[in-house]
Amino acid sequence: MNLDGSAVLSAPPEEVWAVITDPAVLARTIPGCVSLEQVGEDSYRMHVAVGVGAIRGSYAGEVHLTDQQRPSSYVMHASGAGAPGQVRATVPISLEAVDGGTRVTYSADAVVGGPVAGVGQRMITGVAKRMAGQFFSAIDAELAGTAPTAGPVEAVVSTTDGSAEPPPALRTTFTNPAVATGGWVPTEARPLLVGAAGGGVLALVGVWIGYLLGRRR
Amino acid sequence: MTTKLFGEPVRRREDARLIIGQGRYLDDIGADAHAAAFLRSPYAHARVVDIDVTGALDVEGLLAIYTYADLTGPLAEPLPVLIPHPQLTHPRTGYPLAKDVVQHVGEAVVMVVATDRYVAEDAAALIEVTYEELPVVVGVDAARAALHAVHEDVPDNVAARHHQETGDVAVALAASAHTLSFTQYVERSAAMPMEGKGVHARWDADDKALRVYTSTQASTSVRAAIAAKLQLSLEKVEVIAPDVGGGFGVKIVHPWPEELLVPMAAIALGHEVKWTEDRREHFISSAHERQQRQEITVGYDDGGRVTALDVHIWHDNGAYTPYGIIIPIVTATQLVGPYAVPVYRVQVDSVFTNTVIVTPYRGAGRPQGCFAMERTMDRIAQERGIDRAEVRSRNLIQVDQFPYDQHLTFQDGRPVIYDSGDYVGLMDKLKALIDWDSVVERRADAEARGRLLGIGMAMYVEGTGPGPYEGGHVQVLGSGKVLVSTGLTSQGQGHETVFAQLVASELGVPMEDVEVTTGDTRRFGYAVGTFASRAAVMSGNAVALAARGVREKALRIAADVLEAEPADLVIEDGLVQVKGVPGTSIPLRTVAVLSNPLRYAFDEAAKQATQFAGPGDNSKPPVAVGDAPGLEHTDYYSPIRSTFASGAHAVVVEIDPATWEIDVVQYAVVHDCGNVVNPMIVEGQVHGGVAQGVGGALYERMAYDADGQLQNASFMDFLMPYASEVPPVVIDHQETASPLNPLGLKGAGEAGVIPGSAAIASAIEDAVGRRIAAMPISPTELYDLVRSSAADRVTNTDPTLPTLNTGAMA
Repeated sequence: MNLDGSAVLSAPPEEVWAVITDPAVLARTIPGCVSLEQVGEDSYRMHVAVGVGAIRGSYAGEVHLTDQQRPSSYVMHASGAGAPGQVRATVPISLEAVDGGTRVTYSADAVVGGPVAGVGQRMITGVAKRMAGQFFSAIDAELAGTAPTAGPVEAVVSTTDGSAEPPPALRTTFTNPAVATGGWVPTEARPLLVGAAGGGVLALVGVWIGYLLGRRR
Repeated sequence: MTTKLFGEPVRRREDARLIIGQGRYLDDIGADAHAAAFLRSPYAHARVVDIDVTGALDVEGLLAIYTYADLTGPLAEPLPVLIPHPQLTHPRTGYPLAKDVVQHVGEAVVMVVATDRYVAEDAAALIEVTYEELPVVVGVDAARAALHAVHEDVPDNVAARHHQETGDVAVALAASAHTLSFTQYVERSAAMPMEGKGVHARWDADDKALRVYTSTQASTSVRAAIAAKLQLSLEKVEVIAPDVGGGFGVKIVHPWPEELLVPMAAIALGHEVKWTEDRREHFISSAHERQQRQEITVGYDDGGRVTALDVHIWHDNGAYTPYGIIIPIVTATQLVGPYAVPVYRVQVDSVFTNTVIVTPYRGAGRPQGCFAMERTMDRIAQERGIDRAEVRSRNLIQVDQFPYDQHLTFQDGRPVIYDSGDYVGLMDKLKALIDWDSVVERRADAEARGRLLGIGMAMYVEGTGPGPYEGGHVQVLGSGKVLVSTGLTSQGQGHETVFAQLVASELGVPMEDVEVTTGDTRRFGYAVGTFASRAAVMSGNAVALAARGVREKALRIAADVLEAEPADLVIEDGLVQVKGVPGTSIPLRTVAVLSNPLRYAFDEAAKQATQFAGPGDNSKPPVAVGDAPGLEHTDYYSPIRSTFASGAHAVVVEIDPATWEIDVVQYAVVHDCGNVVNPMIVEGQVHGGVAQGVGGALYERMAYDADGQLQNASFMDFLMPYASEVPPVVIDHQETASPLNPLGLKGAGEAGVIPGSAAIASAIEDAVGRRIAAMPISPTELYDLVRSSAADRVTNTDPTLPTLNTGAMA
């Protein structure tokens, strides 16, 4: 399924880029993000806890950024695998300077598998739009400097095996002080309820897998 | 064929179960099922712009939300046009869930599934659908005017122009001594079964098999539709009609969107899903019938004999045409009734409106046809000053004219040939039953009591038992139990009783030993359905033929054992014995055991069929070539064409000139459905039909406003006759056996409703002396009619009585 749209954020592209690719910020702004661990150059592993009515649960997934043309565009690859199903999303994202800020435009192509695909597209996109709205309003708050300060940044010295092991310096875990649990999007963020982009898709992936896990109860 | 059970008023064996709450209706099934609820269009004609489910997401217990976007493959295509016809030039059907445009209030737009119905309804209520309203077409006249189009690619709103003629009507009319032209209307009504529709689906993920229970009149066809739409192999789909709390035609339509969507959800969610229609849903999203505008021109001679009849009907088919033009065809062909009409031309224009679909409701176009013909007879009588019964008699087909070919093509695609009947006999019995000639005294007596009395009558011929076929399976078990099954469904008519009567009669077993199963594709896969008064004619003959097959095999096997000729054997009370030799006999249950040669004995009875049980004939194989093990037989009945039942109703009404309340004080029915299997059940069918006829004549209508909103979509506002409004019905039977089927049967299911509006209109007109040109009629409408100077004054001047009825209000 496809999710297209755009959102205008109140800062120049360079600044927006810095923010929406900063794992520490993403950890704070992705709705329900419990932790986000950088596991390599532009690669992250994350945990998302989601609590939207019919769709809830927690999930682990991976995100990888490619084709980066800072500060104008990049492609995000997100994937997750819960026991009852799996989700994969490829999201070309572009940043363009506009009056008073940056227009972030995206076109998400997501593949949903397993029983979760049976709940109906409107339900899935409905949740996705809500998560995206929350993400964007949080990002905008970051840009406006009104966001809650970052939680404790915990350095991890893990010993993950694998040949392409990144330098220790890159292995860091960011956590979210106040895990978003869904709920209503503030009215001022409504103009941003346009669909999933960046972390929105991450959250969306989380939502789906979370739903899968939730179903197993 | 006659035995002691055929023709006996055997008590309905299903009643005990049904009246003490032991019935198993759709909603009694699947207590743990998830529940589906539907968000339906609040507009009669609108474009669906957006569906926002955000508000529903937080509802605890919500499981899924489906819209058109979730439909795939054949399910995303329009619902089937069940009965295509060359004259149905612009068939239109909706989608299981609205795609772009909704065509009537109540059309399903979103399906919500939740842990229970309450949660599903709550979630549905929080979904916001944005509509762009479009112009609305309501009523047959608006459709005819075509200022707006229901379907934009059908600008004149005409779905079909059905046309039949038996000669040059223009010439015949020109040559007629007298002619009359007039227009009249029949309103909408609906079947209103006590139990609405309902569907329960269970998906077995391991077997990849689907079982669907649905409150339907056509389980085998629903099965085929589900298999096709959900792309499942037919043998992986089972469809069962449990006890059905009334159908009256509305449940012959299929597949209803819910019959596809509920199974779809059950498969997607891997859990049982159920939907039970509520009453408002039934009003706005099932089906209605009846509305027609009838333009009639009739030519006749001095004696009131019809010389030519030209009819142009405008039939409101609602928003879609899933059931084709069956109702227009039935109206067109059954209109002529029991009369010999030398030249007849009929055109029925079936038109779209932004209202609930129109499909057969008990009578299925016949009440309207009867209304057209019988009111025509009354007008001729009034214009000629001849008694209404006399005019009818002069036009009746005579006994020596059967088989009588009306030179028309019926709804089964076969010729309208009346196979047998005695219409003169009907009229004689009816006049005696209602004491037609005593109306003078009764009118005087009523006027002395300050009431207006009127009498009316109507006759009809009903094509029943159309094909293509039905089948029956009969099996005798080693226990002596006799299993009977037919694919045709039941909806409370008493099939269990009648089919058991027939099989017990044919086989010579106690009726208590016979068990009947209907409408279960696990038991019988080939069937058409329950409609057009066809159950007794079709399945009745089929199970009788199957029973005859079992009897023949039983006699063959018993003959070997008893060393007698099959011809010398009889079966009585489950015992096969040699005629006149009481001692030599063998129980039918033992014959059943012996019919299946066994290697392994599992009980005492089985021992008799094992290889060392007795001396066998070593020159033959245990199962003869061409034979099969088991005492069972399957057979089918497929008629050459429909068989034509007939009847005549007469009614006496009394009207209170203060309130204009209309009381039906006497109702007489003479009924001919060929050989009667069970007179008690036939009379029950007639009583029910008369009740619905009275409802259609005096109470029931669909009160649509100009915006296509149904304003009386509840039992608070939609009037139906109670027992207090249904008159005592006196019935006289006439039996002219049908030469077309082995049992000589004709259908009886719909007869009672057909002449109701025509006979009651005739009686009211007789009482108040004002033309009744539209039915139903309420006390208020009657009051206005009598006071209107424009109202057409009429009298039924009868040679036998002075015209004291000057329309007493004059």
